[in-house]
Amino acid sequence: MSEENNNKFIRRMIFLGIIQIIFILILVGRMYYLQVFEGPYYHLLAEGNRIATRPLVPLRGQIYDRHGVPLAQNETNFRVVFLTDKRAEVEDTLNMLSGLITLSEEERKDVLNIIRKKRGLDSVIIKDNLTWEEVSAIELHTVDLPGISIEIGSTRTYPQRLAGAHLLGYVASSSEKEQEEDPMLTIPGLKIGKVGVEKYFDKYLRGMPGHSAFEINAKRKVLRELYQQASTAGQDLYLTLDSRLQDYVQDVLSRYESAAAVVIDIQNGDVLALASHPSFDPNLFPQGIGHKPWHELQENPYVPLTNKAISGRYAPGSTVKLLVALAALQSGIIDKNSTVYCPGYIYVGDHKFHCMHSHGNVNVSRAIIESCDVFFYEISKKVGIDRLSALYREFGLGEGGLENFPHSKKGLVPTKAWKIEKKNANWTISDTIQASIGQGYMLATPLELAVAMARLAGGGKKLVPRLTKEEHLPFSDMGFEKRHLETILEATRGVVNFPNGTAFRNRIMAAGQEMGGKTGTSQVRRITMQQRKAGQTKTHHLPWKYREHGLFIGWAPIQNPRYAIAVVVEHAGGSGPAIQAARDILQYAQNLGREAVQ
Amino acid sequence: MTSDVLTSRFQKFTQLNWGIFFLIFLISAIGWGLLVSAAGGDVHLWASRQVIRFCFGVIIMLSIALVDLRWWLHFSYFFYAVSLVLLCGVEFLGFIGKGAERWIDLYMVQLQPSELMKIALVMALARYFHSRPSPLTFQQLLFPFLLIMLPVILVLRQPDLGTAMILLMVGGTLFFAAGISLWYFGVVLMGISASIPLLWGFLHEYQKNRVLIFFDPSHDTLGAGYHITQSKIALGSGGLWGKGHMQGTQASLNFLPEKQTDFIFTLLCEEWGFAGGTFLIVLYIFLIILCFRIILTTQNAFGQFVATGMTMTFFLYVAINIAMVMGLLPVVGVPLPLVSYGGTAMLTLLMGFGFLLNVGLNRNLKIPSHSIGIF
Repeated sequence: MSEENNNKFIRRMIFLGIIQIIFILILVGRMYYLQVFEGPYYHLLAEGNRIATRPLVPLRGQIYDRHGVPLAQNETNFRVVFLTDKRAEVEDTLNMLSGLITLSEEERKDVLNIIRKKRGLDSVIIKDNLTWEEVSAIELHTVDLPGISIEIGSTRTYPQRLAGAHLLGYVASSSEKEQEEDPMLTIPGLKIGKVGVEKYFDKYLRGMPGHSAFEINAKRKVLRELYQQASTAGQDLYLTLDSRLQDYVQDVLSRYESAAAVVIDIQNGDVLALASHPSFDPNLFPQGIGHKPWHELQENPYVPLTNKAISGRYAPGSTVKLLVALAALQSGIIDKNSTVYCPGYIYVGDHKFHCMHSHGNVNVSRAIIESCDVFFYEISKKVGIDRLSALYREFGLGEGGLENFPHSKKGLVPTKAWKIEKKNANWTISDTIQASIGQGYMLATPLELAVAMARLAGGGKKLVPRLTKEEHLPFSDMGFEKRHLETILEATRGVVNFPNGTAFRNRIMAAGQEMGGKTGTSQVRRITMQQRKAGQTKTHHLPWKYREHGLFIGWAPIQNPRYAIAVVVEHAGGSGPAIQAARDILQYAQNLGREAVQ
Repeated sequence: MTSDVLTSRFQKFTQLNWGIFFLIFLISAIGWGLLVSAAGGDVHLWASRQVIRFCFGVIIMLSIALVDLRWWLHFSYFFYAVSLVLLCGVEFLGFIGKGAERWIDLYMVQLQPSELMKIALVMALARYFHSRPSPLTFQQLLFPFLLIMLPVILVLRQPDLGTAMILLMVGGTLFFAAGISLWYFGVVLMGISASIPLLWGFLHEYQKNRVLIFFDPSHDTLGAGYHITQSKIALGSGGLWGKGHMQGTQASLNFLPEKQTDFIFTLLCEEWGFAGGTFLIVLYIFLIILCFRIILTTQNAFGQFVATGMTMTFFLYVAINIAMVMGLLPVVGVPLPLVSYGGTAMLTLLMGFGFLLNVGLNRNLKIPSHSIGIF
């Protein structure tokens, strides 16, 4: 090669060499970018490749009564699941499985449905609550059952069964709609509260799910478990309920066809018992209630699934007379000696309003003790509906009681404005009169009545009912004069313990345990719960049961107010049964109170 | 005579460029270690076979190196012709492996003519340019142009995009080395750019896919884009120091495909990190620098061109494979030299080094341009 050509060659070769170096530097730069700069990101993806996670269901918090008696517990059980990476063999596997355990056609269909619909799933629960025989049978045949695995799960049980079922509620699997709103609920096996305390405190009780991580290869085959992030158990709940009292109340109510009762601690607002009859067994629900039991519950004319203590709205009847009296005393319209003459009736326009019988001259005390309507008709005209309804509300009527509690309803305290809005009519005097004896448009729930009684007996403090023990802030004073309250309370003692009292026959005999209260009956102009359910909303639909509901609100012991109670017995025909129930319950409660140091 | 031959042979042996030899060995050894890891600790699956091939290849390499360079000058065109015939043979007799006609099954050994051609082309072009020193007329350029295009077209029909690219680039480099006027390069580049749309139509479906994936990896992350996506994940997750020998989770769990062949560099990077990857690259750089020393100190044209061609081929293997596993180039199936598992590639590579070493030995030899190498 010539000199010139050689130099050219060398020049070009050097040029080539430089190009090569530059290219290599680009490669190294790229490597640096991917490994150092973006390293953590790729590390994440690499882990994402090889790690699959399965959620772990958290253990639900258990529910206890105030003494630690379990009301809702978790029992471990076994369930059989199908691991969905063997999707293709599911039909054969299910066939094989139904030879070993009882698998209904419905359960089969459900499993197949879920597998078809939900693609991202890891496992599907085929059957819960396996018997030991079923578990053994499956374990024996694991070779023939690809993709089948036995898991330990837990079932919610309610040892108290019927007692307190309404208040406690129950858990069950979440619906698709609920799952849309909260993706956490898609975890198989996770149950949520559907009604009652289980629902009210659901977030508190639920806990946080954990997960176990598995290493998988490119074929999504599980190789080994890498680690487990334990789930956080839900927090246990201690209610103010006394399960012995609750049990007793439920028992007492079962003497009747349909009833409800609430017992509140006057000092701190603790709900000691809240019962509705007939009741149901909440244990039916966590695994999914069968069609037959569900139908039975639905068809029962006494609507066992309704919590009448908080959802039942009844005309409070004469029980509100205590409040009317207070309104009159407080506003100075009467004093404790003022009298009204009761001939047994009064006229409003040409409408005749009756009284039980002619009471003659009555003062407020006698009017309460003997439940004279005319007295209250007269004073209510002077008190006026505005003051009256305001006071009713002060005492909790129409307010509900337990804020945001599932299925909690508010009663109805009518006002002038209300009537115009809802009935498109003006308020009349006869409306006021009706309202003074707790009839007409008025409605209240047993809980509201118990709260009203507790507020009265507690010395006019604005008591707030509560289900769990928190720090007790003193209730605010509602501003009623002590002497007026005392007049009323004295009268309530008379209702039960004076011979002329409407509840005399059913008083508590045991000394030191006497109760005070007020009787009431509510006319069944209003439609009962069962009829509303059946769509019967017109008066001519009323069945042969024309009997009125019986009500009683009471408190004990009269020397030192401790317990307040409200009882409603549907279609009792009079307040007798309600008073008897209250008597037995208050006596029992006081006996309990003497045993234990609260 | 024989003892003279033997002593001269021995003398030649000692004069071999040991630096190159050592680097070849070191790089290959790294490869063996990686193959053990790729096989999950199994030495016999890939690693031991690679070692045997390596030994076999070294013997061939030395045999080629110790022969007088002028023999190779003599046989250049013949070598080329044989390779071309074998390439044609693949067309008509080919054994279909991996969806591409690339192999001829010769009972014991699977021969890949396209690999052979890479060497043969260099030899042929080297001889041609040796005999016609610069400047060259246009007519004189037609023959070498044909020398390049014939195998390129045959290889493209197989289809083997990677080899075609390498043949073109090596050929182009030799043109460049021979001192061809730069104007020609400009024209050729424009010609290529203009004909890309036409060439696109000739590509097979999976090749088109690969190019599309290159421009947008998210296009099909589970299909054609899977390899490159997984490669980047495995590579990137290695970080600075890597996960350690046999700790490469992506490779061991089979997320990384072709980990013993095309993507072995990724495996290196997953297990040894940026440090490991850079180390190997530095070794390659040293090797290439040593090759360049030979190129620049050789006194004969034939040797210069042969050395240039072999070095460029080697460089292209390294550059294309590494760029590919990092997503800088479309996937074209080019192995990482001396490290990737594979028989023919290793063999022809070592053959190439044999020629290179030969040139190195004979760098002071002056060969007249009219020589046809017969003595």
